[in-house]
Amino acid sequence: MKQRTLKHRSLLGTTPGDLLFSEPGAALIVFAILALLPVFFSGYMIYILPQYMLFGVLAMSLGLLWGFAGLVSFGQAGFFALGAYTMGLSMKSGGGIIDPAYLGLLLSLVVGGILAAAVGYFLFSAGVRGTYFVLVTLALSIMLEQIAVSQSQITGGWNGMFIDRMSLNLGPFGKISLFDDAPMYYVILPAVAIIYVILYTITVTRFGKILNGIRENEDRLISLGFNASLYKTGVFAISGAVACFAGALYGTHANFVAPSLAGVLFSTEVVVWVAIGGRGSLLGVLLGGILVASFSNYLSAITPEYWQLVLGLLFVAVLLYFRGGVAGAVAQLVNARRAK
Amino acid sequence: MKTASELLRTEGLTKRFRGLVANDSIDFTLKAGELRCVIGPNGAGKTTLISMISGHQQPSNGAIWFQGQNITKLSIIERARRGISRKFQTPTLFDNLSAYENVELAVLRTGCPPRKRRSRILEVLDLVRLVDLADTTASTLSHGQRQWLEVGLLLANDAILLLLDEPTAGMTVEETASTGRLIRRLGQELGLSAIIIEHDINFIRNLQAPVTVLHLGRVLVEGSFHDIEHDEQVRSVYLGDQ
Repeated sequence: MKQRTLKHRSLLGTTPGDLLFSEPGAALIVFAILALLPVFFSGYMIYILPQYMLFGVLAMSLGLLWGFAGLVSFGQAGFFALGAYTMGLSMKSGGGIIDPAYLGLLLSLVVGGILAAAVGYFLFSAGVRGTYFVLVTLALSIMLEQIAVSQSQITGGWNGMFIDRMSLNLGPFGKISLFDDAPMYYVILPAVAIIYVILYTITVTRFGKILNGIRENEDRLISLGFNASLYKTGVFAISGAVACFAGALYGTHANFVAPSLAGVLFSTEVVVWVAIGGRGSLLGVLLGGILVASFSNYLSAITPEYWQLVLGLLFVAVLLYFRGGVAGAVAQLVNARRAK
Repeated sequence: MKTASELLRTEGLTKRFRGLVANDSIDFTLKAGELRCVIGPNGAGKTTLISMISGHQQPSNGAIWFQGQNITKLSIIERARRGISRKFQTPTLFDNLSAYENVELAVLRTGCPPRKRRSRILEVLDLVRLVDLADTTASTLSHGQRQWLEVGLLLANDAILLLLDEPTAGMTVEETASTGRLIRRLGQELGLSAIIIEHDINFIRNLQAPVTVLHLGRVLVEGSFHDIEHDEQVRSVYLGDQ
């Protein structure tokens, strides 16, 4: 048998030795820059950036589904809002023997994961695919929004729910207040980095490779003996848990959650972030969430009537000219440079 | 490697699509290590037969036995895990993945330990003559190479019975000859069994495997290619004066 050297493509199409031009290398640089920002900036930027980073995590939860398994979900905002409400209710409950914030974070992972697993199991076992899956996830988002509205005695209805800012409970060593923005920033940033590392690791494992197979040709994968429904349920559960966890952190950071967080508009925005960031790359998707959400915020301030139109046009332009999003375009440039 | 034990048996296998009977009470037996060509005019029920064996279609009546067990009600997934793998008429691959990654996916389903995975993938790619194109994206391979890659997926998936639906369709004369050599090698060296649907009579002649002729959903005749090509019925309904 011939012995040869084979390339192993990373998400940016590079070899493992070329770390600088690989996705993990680029991620290292991005997180280092984010870690240094509070040193040079303060005020509103350091307050709002953790929220955008959590939007980035929400985008990654969809990026994992869409970019790696080919499943487009309009329900991610529903899971995000569910996480925020879970955190709010946990903080209200006082938590019992566990710190209420930790209970909220733990429950958000469990609730999001179980709900997504249950929905995914029934949908995928019944053979729901493609557009039908999109529609069901859209309906899921709407249902969660309506539940938040109708159960006003628990959720506060349209008025929303106020959520206390969490503290970092170190047990016998006391508590660190996260009331100021910089300490909260340094709690959320590592959480985002850890989630990125976990999700990236998933994409390069056996599980991730099988997800790629589902995205490329699910019928072929089934013909090889893979239970594709099981893998799709698994990735949907992971995605739901991640989105819900990000929502829990968002709730305690923003101190507030309202039903519109689960709504169709926000769900659609998440899809736009992922498409623009580049669904083939988790880092691209994370940056898409952070940068496009920042841009949307800026646009909504300067042109409240038309910012959604501008965002929509940007989305259409990316779909027409950069189908792989910004990360896809960067990957092409890197590959072209390496081919020379 | 070859044994005379029975690998596959169908009993009264029937498939009806509303009023149309695509397969009508087919009794078919395949020994372990046997290659079998299935020929017949368009609409004879060849693809329907292997669709029922692979689990892509459920029979209206009849039963399928594989390695002594009734698999009639088993899903595609369960049949694939028992070693029944199918190559489709049109190459069905993971188009945006490389040839290496395509085969890797098939290997991932088997119990191949991670440290042996790479050598197993290269072994399969070598077998289907694609080892030099391991990094090439499947969609950019030639039609013949895509056919071989799909056969490679079946091999990497630890198939015992290969269901090959027109494995030489769209191939050049040279590629067809290579495919014939590959299939013979699979039977002789690896002891694999295969049901091969083909329209290329020269390919079937060169394969020197037993032939089953289907016509109007029924088995018209079975035998060696020599017997088949001199059978008046077969000449009348399919071969003509070839």
